[in-house]
Amino acid sequence: MRHSIQRQLTFSLAMLLIVMGLLLSQAGLWVVDRGLRQYTQDNLQTQAESLLAALVKGPQGLELNSRHHDAVFLKPFSGQYFIIEFNQQRWRSRSLWDFELPDVEHLGFSEQLRPGPEQQQLLIYQGDYRRYKTDIKVTVAHDYSPVLVSFKQAQIIGAGLGLLALLLTLLLQRLLVRRALKPLEQTRVQIEQLQQGQRSQLEQETPIELQPLVQQVNRLLAHTEETLQRSRKGLGNLGHALKTPLAVLVSLLQREELQRQPELLAIMQEQLEHIAQRIARELTRARLSGEALPGAFFDCAEELPSLFQLMNHVHGDVLTLDWHATPELRLPWERDDILEMLGNLLDNACKWADSRVELSIEKRGEAYCVWVDDDGPGIEESQREQVQRRGSRLDEQSVGHGLGLGIVRDIVETLHGTLQLLDSPLGGLRVEICLQSSVK
Amino acid sequence: MRLLLVEDNVALADELCAGLQRLGYVVDWLTDGRDAAYQGAVEPYDLIILDLGLPGLPGLEVLARWRAAAISTPVLILTARSAWSERIDGLKAGADDYLTKPFHHEELYLRVQALLRRSHGFSNQNQLSAEGLHLDEARQMVHSRGETIELTGAEFRLLRYFMLHPGQVLSKSHLAEHLYDGETERDSNVLEVHVNHLRRKLGKAVIETRRGQGYRFAGCEAQL
Repeated sequence: MRHSIQRQLTFSLAMLLIVMGLLLSQAGLWVVDRGLRQYTQDNLQTQAESLLAALVKGPQGLELNSRHHDAVFLKPFSGQYFIIEFNQQRWRSRSLWDFELPDVEHLGFSEQLRPGPEQQQLLIYQGDYRRYKTDIKVTVAHDYSPVLVSFKQAQIIGAGLGLLALLLTLLLQRLLVRRALKPLEQTRVQIEQLQQGQRSQLEQETPIELQPLVQQVNRLLAHTEETLQRSRKGLGNLGHALKTPLAVLVSLLQREELQRQPELLAIMQEQLEHIAQRIARELTRARLSGEALPGAFFDCAEELPSLFQLMNHVHGDVLTLDWHATPELRLPWERDDILEMLGNLLDNACKWADSRVELSIEKRGEAYCVWVDDDGPGIEESQREQVQRRGSRLDEQSVGHGLGLGIVRDIVETLHGTLQLLDSPLGGLRVEICLQSSVK
Repeated sequence: MRLLLVEDNVALADELCAGLQRLGYVVDWLTDGRDAAYQGAVEPYDLIILDLGLPGLPGLEVLARWRAAAISTPVLILTARSAWSERIDGLKAGADDYLTKPFHHEELYLRVQALLRRSHGFSNQNQLSAEGLHLDEARQMVHSRGETIELTGAEFRLLRYFMLHPGQVLSKSHLAEHLYDGETERDSNVLEVHVNHLRRKLGKAVIETRRGQGYRFAGCEAQL
């Protein structure tokens, strides 16, 4: 799974909340428990003393004035117990019934809970007193288990409430983070649009945290475009510098002196043709921008009419030229690249067509498909591979469609597309080109 | 036909001038974009061949200035810039045709002929035909009622101009301006001599004289 700020924030916040919640609730329970035990201890001590006070001297020696002690000592397993020992006598509270209190090793309060009857948990206090000149040992016990049970309940309720609070907090945090990250999301969407050729720049209006990023991206885009323009201008000049002398040489071939030397003329013509084709192909390739400019796009409705005007200009007398494209279709590639590809494709088709050439452009999912159909002689299936083969020589005129398709293939390769030669429904050749949109 | 060639490569321009003159065009040659922008706007050219990589002022800018000044002279761009986007930009700037270097001279001459025909309303014709006459521009001959008549260079130039402007009254000075180079040729009565030659070869009615106005091409059909 890929890294996400939202997910990471949610995870860390959840962990923090859980750890803090557990720590706090445990600490709280511990404090309350301590307090309650202290309180019970005080109570037990008071009880022991009030039992002592309830001892009165009767006719048969010491007796316990039942009026002075609580009814809870009478009810079996009530949770309040006592044992009074003196002079080999041992009085047990009726509530103890047949249960023997566990032994306590030392006087005073015993910190540990002792097992009592019926799963009770007892806190025990033992005190030595002297009254009526007799040593009296009073042991009182109190059942602590109801407190423990309510602690457990409190823990369950607390855990439930804590969980609820956790969910609520996380939900709230999600909302807050989403709101805080909104500019980031907007920038992300804009970059996506940039790649799809729907915009050429990022919006400058962003929070200050994002400003450097957006500015840098825009600057980079501008710089790339400038570099591209500059290199194209340079290539244009180079082309001019190479092709004009070439044109002079070609025109010199018309001279009578050379016309008298047909062999020499033929060699020169062939070599000049090679140079010209080589220059044309390399300059075309060098001019391609490929994917250097993410914001660039080709607007079919805007560019195709002028391309077809140009085509009609050259071939319109003899051929019917048509194009179909989805309305408002934009190809996310640079205008010059696409024009160069379509221009060469159409020009090539026009050279071979008898009467009709058709161009169709369609978006299929993330891919853009281009078909150029003609009603010419087509290419034999056995020869198609030869035309498509990488690096096939430019002067291979045997298969006709050679040069034009060579340049098209260069462009398609630069744009990471595929080129296929098929049978056209019009009867001739169909060239199918599929370009994958770079947005994955 | 008076052409303006704007090309900064001297060797190429020399070849082109010579070739075009052989084909019976009067050619003016300029190398600088600023000169071209001015002269193309004031001289009555029938066609302009324009290079794009010019010193002084870029070719496209020159073209844009002409079009902005409503100069509708057909312009053929002759350039090393062969990218399709540049061709489209050229046409958008107002060019009528676009030829890329290197090129075969024949191609250029055919384009020039076609463009001249088209700009005079003879579209979809690979041959100049008007009023029963068919002009073979490559061999400088004319076909009329099954006959093939050879023409001299001067006669060819004159007839071609007439055929491109059928039915229009053309003044002597207008014809001289578009057909002849240099003041000496223009001042003499060369024009009348050539008109008479054409009448002798093609029939008297082929060119009417409008007294005080000039000549009008009536064609062969007028004689029937």
